[in-house]
Amino acid sequence: MILATTEAVHGYEVAETLGLVCGSAVRACHVGVDVESAMQNLVGGELVHYTKLLAEAREQALDRVIAEGRARGANAIVALRFTTSEIASGAAEILAYGTAVKLRGIS
Amino acid sequence: MSREREPTGDELLAMAYADGELAGDARLAFEARLAREPDLRREVAELQGLAVLARQLAPAEPAELEWQSLAAGWQQRAGTQVGLGLALAGALLLAAGLLGWILWSTLPVALKAGAAAIGLGLAVLLLVALRARRRLAPLDPYTKVKR
Repeated sequence: MILATTEAVHGYEVAETLGLVCGSAVRACHVGVDVESAMQNLVGGELVHYTKLLAEAREQALDRVIAEGRARGANAIVALRFTTSEIASGAAEILAYGTAVKLRGIS
Repeated sequence: MSREREPTGDELLAMAYADGELAGDARLAFEARLAREPDLRREVAELQGLAVLARQLAPAEPAELEWQSLAAGWQQRAGTQVGLGLALAGALLLAAGLLGWILWSTLPVALKAGAAAIGLGLAVLLLVALRARRRLAPLDPYTKVKR
């Protein structure tokens, strides 16, 4: 599966557009991590647990977009975007979306 | 709504409407009927629900299947209902107790009982959440993601 944030992929042309695909994930750490991160926040530096939490949510949302694309018979998702929202305090919330397409190599 | 027979004229109209295929006067006339006819509204809502499901083509994830089995179990449902019920009853008791305190400057039993019920309700809900987490955690591959 080719993932691209651009609408065109070098060396390929769009043979078929299959439509919008999206995947979302909302993840949280347990309260111990929140307390530890609050202390880290006082002294500065990277909040490593939250960085990891965001990466987990990003990968999960991305996997869901890919699964949706595969189910539609796509071999690529173009114009891929990530966005975030605010539902729960202290949770990482990611929505990934793009356009599922069938790409064909330009000979 | 049964699909084991030929769809009626209204069902065909509802399908066309839900698919966005009705235009112009036909659409306006159908929308006017929607405003008047609750059965037609339910039919359209059901068809729109099917359309939403059809868009989600990806197969269910292992964690999703486990979650469905967990949510169908009586322990999870009973735990959630008991927890929420206790918390709600506690909040009502607390409100009654606070009212009594404001009006008569006494610390009635309702205040203590309300606080205890809220605490107990939240504890039950925490246990329910912990049970779900314990069941779902082994099926969550994203905990291994590195930053």
